[in-house]
Amino acid sequence: MLNSLKNKLLKILEYLLVGLVALMTIDVIWQVASRYLLGSPSNFTDELAGFLLIWVGLFGAAYATGKDVHVSLDILPASLGRRKRFYLHIVAQMMVALFALSVMVIGGIHLVYLTFLLEQKSASLQIPLGYVYASIPICGLFIIYFSVHSAITYKMEVS
Amino acid sequence: MQYTEVLILVISFVVLLGIRVPVAYSIGIASTLTILVSIPSLPALATLAQRMATALDSFALLAIPFFILAGQLMNRGGIATRLIDLAKVIVGPLPGGLAFVNIISCMLFGAISGSAVAAASAIGGFMTGKMEKEGYSRPFSAAINITSSTIGLIIPPSNVLIVYSLASGGVSISALFLAGYIPGMMVGLSLMIVAGSWSYFKKYPVGEKSSLKNALIKTWRAFPSLLLLVIVMGGIVAGIFTATEASAIAVVYTAILSMMVYKEVKWRDIPEIFVDTAKTTAIVMLLIGTSMGMSWVMSYENIPQEVSNVLLGISDDRIVVLIIINLILLGVGIFMDMTPAILIFTPIFLPLVKQLGLDPVHFGIIMVLNLCIGLCTPPVGSVLFVGVGVAKTTVQKVIKPLLPLFIAMLVALVLIIYLPELSLWLPRQFGF
Repeated sequence: MLNSLKNKLLKILEYLLVGLVALMTIDVIWQVASRYLLGSPSNFTDELAGFLLIWVGLFGAAYATGKDVHVSLDILPASLGRRKRFYLHIVAQMMVALFALSVMVIGGIHLVYLTFLLEQKSASLQIPLGYVYASIPICGLFIIYFSVHSAITYKMEVS
Repeated sequence: MQYTEVLILVISFVVLLGIRVPVAYSIGIASTLTILVSIPSLPALATLAQRMATALDSFALLAIPFFILAGQLMNRGGIATRLIDLAKVIVGPLPGGLAFVNIISCMLFGAISGSAVAAASAIGGFMTGKMEKEGYSRPFSAAINITSSTIGLIIPPSNVLIVYSLASGGVSISALFLAGYIPGMMVGLSLMIVAGSWSYFKKYPVGEKSSLKNALIKTWRAFPSLLLLVIVMGGIVAGIFTATEASAIAVVYTAILSMMVYKEVKWRDIPEIFVDTAKTTAIVMLLIGTSMGMSWVMSYENIPQEVSNVLLGISDDRIVVLIIINLILLGVGIFMDMTPAILIFTPIFLPLVKQLGLDPVHFGIIMVLNLCIGLCTPPVGSVLFVGVGVAKTTVQKVIKPLLPLFIAMLVALVLIIYLPELSLWLPRQFGF
């Protein structure tokens, strides 16, 4: 059951990422085309592209956490034994979850709250910046789920 | 500088890496712990979150996903074999011909795809088998493949040079790209000298000469892939478009090439290509986000200034300081991936070397080349592991043939440090 929920979340992220990358590609190609072919550079594409990159970066980071493809070092001595490895894996995953909770969810929500409070809007699209930053706590939640899931299922694999 | 904070930063980072927390998260967690000791508050966490996100909000960084996407589109086609065929025409008839073919193909593939890991797996997977058939040992082929795959990171277009431009606070990407050509080729040449002499002593076979007709066909088949480099770099150098615009043009060009001309990529492959692009991009972006967070924490703790004082206390001679910096970077490169190393150490070292009269463009090339060596060493050498994997050999066996190649890279590095003109001459010809 745990795995099917994880796979569903990964699938959702996949669809989202395909959409975001497609939009980002069209956006920048449109920017180049409008500048060179139409002679009038479009003024919102630049800003939108930056926001899209933030979203691709964050949602992609959550996806990569779920797929366990972030670069890590394998320098634990082989003599360590299964039991110690198992505990260290749980500690490592909990550290990732704590980071996502403290900086991305708690810090991120505070950031979103501040930008709404100060009514900060983007320069040319006039989107409230809070919407752009809202991706931080959302991705934080994904990352917490994936790392907790990894800690729990690792135990199942060993025993 | 508070020594407690520095100790927390360094020790927590090392411990986290040790227990297999991914590098990007280790950087983020170590920064969070450090800043919480100084300012234990909610705004500190919010500032870190904001640094992570705004680090990505940069038009220059957009070139990275697009060069990755263009590389993905190219990789699915038979570009690797086409480049190998071309390299065979050029250097095949030399002694140790296939070793040269391996080096040249890796350089071309690395430059086009922008990824050393992609070059190592695409070219290595194909070349090791071929080289073994002609009597080359597998570890030797793997060692050549691994070291020459990193050259594509110096020869433009290069994503790590874009990252350096970001970290240095806006050194011209075009100038950095131009500066990479000669040093990149020098590293290639120094690897070829070692590979050539090794092949000569081991009496590895000389490759066959190809007929003129055959040579022309092979060149024609590789031409469209190479044209990409000409379009992208030509446009940037001539000042027609920025690196980001060039990367978008590269996507359009490779899409037309692989979908309509070579017909190797179908519409239904596109979603998968986009997901792979997003994944590869995000791995880099999370590193950039958390590294920029750490960089902020370090400047908050006044660490760059202190490091600078310590180094200048040892000596104010440019070469001595550069030697120390390079030794530190070599050590860093062994334990850290290239992107975070550039983002974290550029703000520390660049102001110092600028003060000593070094050109920021020159320093960028030194830094990237230095860290390339780290990509080929355990325990964090991503290129090393991929290269060893595709060649089906082991790290222990590869070390022996790797050593002379490392020395060649170090000699090239020393020359590039001592002779700034090697990096700066070409950009100057174009007015940078």
